Amino acid sequence: MKKSSIIGIVVIAIAIAVIISTYSNTSTYGSFNDAKATKSELHVVGHLNKTKELFYDATKDANYFSFYMKDNKGEECKVVFSGTKPQDFERSEQIVLTGQMKGNEFHASKILMKCPSKYTDDKLNVTEVSAKKSANL
Amino acid sequence: MDIVFKGEHLLPGQLGQFFVVLAFGAALFSFICYFFATQETAPKSDNSWLRLGRIGYWLNTVAIVGMGICLFYILYNHYFEYHYAWSYTSRELPVYYLISGFWNGQEGGFLLWMFWEAVLGNILIWRAKSWEKPVMTTLALSQVVLGTMILGLQIGSAHIGSSPFMLLRNSGIEGPIFQNPDYLSFIKDGKGMNPSLQNYWMIIHPPTLFLGSASLVVPFAFAVAGLWKRRYKEWVQPAIPYALFSCMVLGTGVIMGSFWAYESLNFDGFWAWDPVENASIFPWLILVAAVHVLVVYKNTGHSYFTATFLTLVAFVLVWYSSFLARSGVLGESSVHAFTDLGLFWQLVIGVLIFLAITAYLLISRFKEMPITKKDEETYSREFWMFVGAIFLGLSCFHLLVVTSVPVWNLMFGTKFAPPTDPIKHYNVIQASFAVVIALLSGFTQFLKYKKTDVTRFFITTLIYLVFAALITGLVVYATGFYKLHFVFIIVMLCSVYTIVSNGKILADSFKGKYKLAGSAVAHIGFGLLLVGALISAGTKKVVSENLTGEQYSAEFAKDENPKENILLYKNEPLKMGDYMVTFKGDTIEGASHFFNIDYQRINEGKVTESFTLRPNVIQAQGGMSSTPDTKHYLFHDLYTHITMTNVISTAPQTEEASHGEEGDDKNYDAPVAHEIAIGDTMAYRDGIIVLKGLNKNVKLQNIPLTDKDIAVGAQLEVITHGKTYQSEPVYMIKGRAVFDFGKKIEDAGLKLRFTKIIPGQTVADGKVEITVYQQPESKKKFIVLKAIKFPYINFLWAGTIIMIIGFFMSILRRNKEVKTV
Repeated sequence: MKKSSIIGIVVIAIAIAVIISTYSNTSTYGSFNDAKATKSELHVVGHLNKTKELFYDATKDANYFSFYMKDNKGEECKVVFSGTKPQDFERSEQIVLTGQMKGNEFHASKILMKCPSKYTDDKLNVTEVSAKKSANL
Repeated sequence: MDIVFKGEHLLPGQLGQFFVVLAFGAALFSFICYFFATQETAPKSDNSWLRLGRIGYWLNTVAIVGMGICLFYILYNHYFEYHYAWSYTSRELPVYYLISGFWNGQEGGFLLWMFWEAVLGNILIWRAKSWEKPVMTTLALSQVVLGTMILGLQIGSAHIGSSPFMLLRNSGIEGPIFQNPDYLSFIKDGKGMNPSLQNYWMIIHPPTLFLGSASLVVPFAFAVAGLWKRRYKEWVQPAIPYALFSCMVLGTGVIMGSFWAYESLNFDGFWAWDPVENASIFPWLILVAAVHVLVVYKNTGHSYFTATFLTLVAFVLVWYSSFLARSGVLGESSVHAFTDLGLFWQLVIGVLIFLAITAYLLISRFKEMPITKKDEETYSREFWMFVGAIFLGLSCFHLLVVTSVPVWNLMFGTKFAPPTDPIKHYNVIQASFAVVIALLSGFTQFLKYKKTDVTRFFITTLIYLVFAALITGLVVYATGFYKLHFVFIIVMLCSVYTIVSNGKILADSFKGKYKLAGSAVAHIGFGLLLVGALISAGTKKVVSENLTGEQYSAEFAKDENPKENILLYKNEPLKMGDYMVTFKGDTIEGASHFFNIDYQRINEGKVTESFTLRPNVIQAQGGMSSTPDTKHYLFHDLYTHITMTNVISTAPQTEEASHGEEGDDKNYDAPVAHEIAIGDTMAYRDGIIVLKGLNKNVKLQNIPLTDKDIAVGAQLEVITHGKTYQSEPVYMIKGRAVFDFGKKIEDAGLKLRFTKIIPGQTVADGKVEITVYQQPESKKKFIVLKAIKFPYINFLWAGTIIMIIGFFMSILRRNKEVKTV
């Protein structure tokens, strides 16, 4: 067999291995219900329930942060994160959590926030500025 | 739109917009002229197409410089009527950050890209000789495509490009204030720059990165020209120095980004496998592979197709990575992707144009390509260089497949999520590729082109492998690296092997084979870079482990160890690792809020080392961003980073001031009254208070005392956490009323009031009542900090610099070989 064909076969084999390992390593986006059903880690997309309490008190425990999140199917769950409260957390529009259920709480190992899109954010800021000016007059 | 707006500076914007259109038009003109100049077959041409093409390109260059000047003028003068200035800068921003404000937005990024391409184009007009026509056709085309990105044309509901000269009132922001002709006077300041970008690396990293990406067009253009004009063999040699230049600059740009990530610690280290970071090295990996096969082809005539293919694909990947970063497609998986500016389809078209050119040329010219029928010898350098290039390509392939998960989801309607632990996933798989690549860049050095003496090769290879194994053993033992996954230890072995074998080549080069020095130096740098990255990332350690026992609940603590943040109250020292740390205080300098943190290393009761770190927090755009401070040692860096504080709050501080005395008491725990005599001591939570004496000659500001009035001060000494404070609250009887003037000791979180005098039998046993208010723990000033130790990071930086030097030496060498006709 020619060497180039051998290399070709090796390359194809590695490429397939890469795709399979990627496929088996990718997780899924799910809901809290899915999280209850499985023991493996997964991603849950949802948004912060701003009416319920966000708990973070550095004087009690600097590494404990909890909040309530509604997933995209509307189900709510208490989420616990081991770390400090991320900056601007209250302003987040969408949250992507990575983690798993432990009892009735979802223990997140990673939080990715999506903050308000550029344009709505702009609008807010403009109204703020103009309000100040009228107060001065 | 009949409103006449007041106070706007429309001239620079209109001029800028004129230049935007001019740049686009000139590029299009230049492209067309160069295209016809290339296609011309008449033996004696008057070169008029060529001359027109050049004029078009020069005009394009002038327009780009013009745009840059206009944009900078707008930023410099704070004309917030422009969306760009308002979004990314503010009045407080120092001038050097105004420069980085220039490329803060996507439009500025495109502008920078166009600028570099213009510079490179002019160099090529000057130097490319017979290659000018076809090569410049490609460059001009690229300028056309880039030009559309900032065109800012509105056709119906669709828009083409997003212009940096867009006015705020036209930017799509709705607001009643834009009905007011005087709206500008309401807009006092811009939104300011994202605080995490306020870092000096952000001034130099983007231009370098963009120069790197932009320069990839040159080898691409040469390859296109070679295939187009059927000058199959000739294009390789002049393309090599440009390809090396791209590798060098793009590599530098990416590493500068890592420097920034490392210093600002926004991503917990120098590399986080974030999709945007991955995307930035796709073209680099492929181009490095391409350079190797180009050299193989030049020396042996083998691997022509691979070399051409990789050179072409590298530039397509530049477009693909810019699509990933700018189209908003990575929104759910990346922390620093841009949001979509409505350029999604335009970027897709950009990728497709260059992909189509690549595919068309490769397919239509395939049969004519000078592809060798003969296989390479197994024991030849070209064969193993080729294999190495293939593995670089595979490594890129893996990154691309995983990073593009959101793209696959979009294309096939699937709903995959990226790996839950992406860092581990990438680390293990990329480490496996690194093993092969590092090993190859080691032993291939002992092989010769065409044919090598096999026995001698095996002997040298083995000797150096044993030598490398010894060094690796030492390093692994000394750094505690052996605790990691075995793959990483093998990578370490192979990297050390690369260093020693290339070290030998470098030593040989001093004896006269100086030609090989460049490649040897670059490979040594690459090896060192891997070693530094491995040790540093593998053995980094969080120093600030929370061992205080303060925790939310025992059960939670059991699950979630180790705890990485610790709480420090002001002036209360805490033991952290080998250090005693104390939060001393804070100062405000401009927009930055600095925290002074004392570190003391105490050995057997003696302070052996003492230093202060000043991490800071910047508030801007309604958010906070924390910049760490670092103590650099030769072999490790110690980071300190504020993750939380109650010293500054993002909420407006309006209430505190207005409440007066009543409200002030709310900031304290319930008061405790103590009756004590002179010389007595009373205890409170954080220390003791001693009544030293009574001062009967107290003078009070603004309150004149008559003979009938009495004012007494209690001289108190507060001892807390090894510090002593003096305080003198005053008790006063004026007329028929009783007053007392409490004193605060902010640092100790105390308020002391002298509330009563209790007469005794004699003067000596008279007592006084002191009321102690202490702040609850949560009201005391505190910071939450995280400290991390990164060992041997200097290897990484040193490796990078050495690699860049190696690339530079190779450029000089290859440039000498070029004889352009």
